[in-house]
Amino acid sequence: MTVQSTTPQFKQNTKDALKNANLQTALRDTRNGFVGKRAAAREKMGVDEFEGLRDAARDLKNHTLANLDVYLEMYEEQVRASGGHVHWAKTAEDAQRIVLDICRKADAKTVNKGKTMISEECGINDFLAENGIKPVETDLGEYIIQLRGEHPSHIIAPAVHVTVPEVRDEFRKAHTHLDADRNLDGLDTLLKEARGVLREKYFEAEVGITGANMLIAETGQSIIVTNEGNGDLSQSLPRVHIVMASLEKIVPTLEDSATILRVLARSATGQDMSVYTTFSSGPRRATDPDGPEEYHVVLLDNGRTDMIGTEFQDMLRCIRCGACINHCPVYQTVGGHAYGWVYPGPMGSVLTPSLIGVEEGGQLPNASTFCGRCESVCPMRIPLPKMMRHWREREFEKNLTPSAMRYGLKAWAFVAKRPWLYRVKTRAAIMALGLLGRRKGRFAALPLASGWTGGRDMPAPEGDTFMAQWKAGKRP
Amino acid sequence: MSGRDEIMQKLTRTLDQGDGRAARQAAVRAHMAKPGGPVPSIAREEDAVGAFIERAIKADATVSRIASADDLPKALAEELRNRNLPAAIRHGADPMFAGLDWGGLETSVGIGRIEEPATLSRAEFGVAETGTCVLASGADNPVTLTFLGETHFVVLDAGDIHKGYEDMWAALRARGLTPRTVNMVTGPSRSADIGQQLQLGAHGPVALHVFVIG
Ligand code: SF4
Repeated sequence: MTVQSTTPQFKQNTKDALKNANLQTALRDTRNGFVGKRAAAREKMGVDEFEGLRDAARDLKNHTLANLDVYLEMYEEQVRASGGHVHWAKTAEDAQRIVLDICRKADAKTVNKGKTMISEECGINDFLAENGIKPVETDLGEYIIQLRGEHPSHIIAPAVHVTVPEVRDEFRKAHTHLDADRNLDGLDTLLKEARGVLREKYFEAEVGITGANMLIAETGQSIIVTNEGNGDLSQSLPRVHIVMASLEKIVPTLEDSATILRVLARSATGQDMSVYTTFSSGPRRATDPDGPEEYHVVLLDNGRTDMIGTEFQDMLRCIRCGACINHCPVYQTVGGHAYGWVYPGPMGSVLTPSLIGVEEGGQLPNASTFCGRCESVCPMRIPLPKMMRHWREREFEKNLTPSAMRYGLKAWAFVAKRPWLYRVKTRAAIMALGLLGRRKGRFAALPLASGWTGGRDMPAPEGDTFMAQWKAGKRP
Repeated sequence: MSGRDEIMQKLTRTLDQGDGRAARQAAVRAHMAKPGGPVPSIAREEDAVGAFIERAIKADATVSRIASADDLPKALAEELRNRNLPAAIRHGADPMFAGLDWGGLETSVGIGRIEEPATLSRAEFGVAETGTCVLASGADNPVTLTFLGETHFVVLDAGDIHKGYEDMWAALRARGLTPRTVNMVTGPSRSADIGQQLQLGAHGPVALHVFVIG
C-alpha cells in the first residue's frame, strides 16, 4: 500500500486549513518570496533565452518519454557496469520490500534519509519503523516535520507550514540530551543545534537513502540537487547507498542534464544554481577512501507506465520544481496538507488521481480556479489546467462527484467545451466582480464564498480574465 | 514475471504503438550523437575567469587569486588567520598538495571527520556560467572533505575554468575522468527551512573560499 491518503476528505481538510491560524501565518509569510525570486531569475537570464530553454526542456523530456524503454535499458546497463544494482519496483509495496531487504542484509538499525518524495510516496519511513529500523530524515525541513509526526506540505519546502516557535518547541522536546535552559532565541541557534544533532546521526547509520532529480542513461549516474548538503552526507557516510527514483527521471546525457538544471533552480527558488549538484555512479572504487560500498537504485513505476500513451503522459515531464505550487492561489490559501497525499498543488492535483486512482484522488482537480498560472510558470510546459479538466470529466463520468457539484459541472462542461462561450461567460463574471471590488482592490467577504474569504482577502479581479490579459500581453 | 519484465513489456507495447522499435532506436542514436539544448549567453561569456569569480561571489563564496600553487600555503595561512581558525588544514592525496612546503601550517591527509574546522580540495574545473566548482571524488580529493569542513577551501587552476556546462563536460570526458561522484558546488551550504529565512551553513560548510591560480 502506498502511503495513506486523506484526499477523499479534501473538502474538510481545506476547511480545517483555513481555520488554522499558524498555517495561515506561515503561508502568508512565504506567499510572495518564491514568486518574486523566480521572476527575477528569469529576467536576469533574459526572458527569451529562458523561454527557449523551457521549450528545449519540454522537447527533451518528450523525446525521452517516447523512447523510455530504450533509455532505461541503456541506463541499467551503465549502472551495472559501474558496480551498482538496479531493482525494478512495479508498485509501492515492491519498493518497500526491496528497501527492507537491502537494509536487512546490511544489518541496518538506522537509515539516514536525504529528501526523497518517492520514499514519501511509498511510505518507506513507516514501513521501516514497523520493521524495527529507525529512519532519520536529514533535510532540515523533513527533520522538523518528522519530529512533528507529519508529512511534507510542499515538495521543495516540506516544513513551510511550521512557524519558528513551533520549531523551537519541537527541538526542546526532542533534544533532551541538551541543557534544558539553553537559549534558542535566534534562528541561527536553531540551525546550529539541528546541524550538530544531525551530524552525529550521519555517522551512525548503516544505510543512506536519497532521491534522484535525474538519472543519466549515458553514464548510469544519479543526480541529486540540494542546498543543504544533507543528501551528500547521507550517501557518502553510510556503508550502503539506496537511490529511490521513479522511472521517468531518466535523461539521455550529461549535456541534457544541463538543460534541465538551467530551468530547475531558477523555477524553484530563483537561484541560478542550487548549491550542490552531485552526479553519483556505483559504489566506491578500489582506490576510493570514502563513499558507500554498495550502490542500489530502486526504480519505481507505481502507475507511471499506465500514464504513457494517455492524455496524462505530459505530467511525466515534471521535474518537481514546485513552481506551479508556489504560484497557485488555492495552495497559497489552504497549504499542502489539505491535498491529503504526497504531492500538493496543481502537480499533485494531476498526479494524485493518476497514482492512487480517481476514487481516492479525484476531488483534487476540482480545487482549481483554472487561472492558468501553473501552466504559465511550469518550466516543462505541462498543460496542468487541461489535465485537471480531463480528470474532472472522468470523475464526473464515474459519478464520483458530490451531486451539487455534478449539477454545476454539467453546465460548466457545456460551456467549457465551447471555448468562445467559456471565455465570454467567465469574462462577463470577472468584469462584474472587478467593478464591485474595484475600490479596495480586495473583497473581505464574498457571498457564497465565506470558506475562502475567512482565510484571506479575495483579490478583486483586475478587470479581465487571465486569458484575455495574457493575450493582450499583460501577463508573462 | 519479474517487475522488470512487467514494466519493460508494458512500456514497449505502448511505445511501439507510436513509432516502431527500430525507428525509436534510430531516434535515440541520433540524439546521443548530438545531445544538449541551447547554450544561453551566460554560458558564452568571453572572460570566463572574470565571470566565474563574479558569480561565485554572488553565490556567497569568497574568491582570491594567487600566482602559482607555491603561493597556496601562505595565502591559506592568511585566510585561516583572518577567519580566526586554527592554523591547520585537512586535505587529500592530491599531488599538488604533496609537493608544497606548508611552513607553519599543521596538515593532515585523509577523509572528512565529524569536527573539522577547515578542509581543502582541488577542483578539477570551474564553470563561469554559475560560478560553480566541479570536484572529482577519489583518494586525491575525498568527497567527504567537501561536506564535513566548517570552512571549505577549494583551489582551482584558471585554465580549468570553462564558460558553460557543455564545455566542462567535454573537458571532463577528454581528461578520461570517471570518478564515483562529480560534485558541482556553488557557494556554501544553506537552508531556509526555519522560518523561511535563508541562513548559510546548513549541513555542509558555513563558508566556501576559492583560490584561483593564475
Ligand atoms: S508540474 Fe511543472 S511547475 Fe509543477 S513541479 Fe512539475 S515541473 Fe515544476
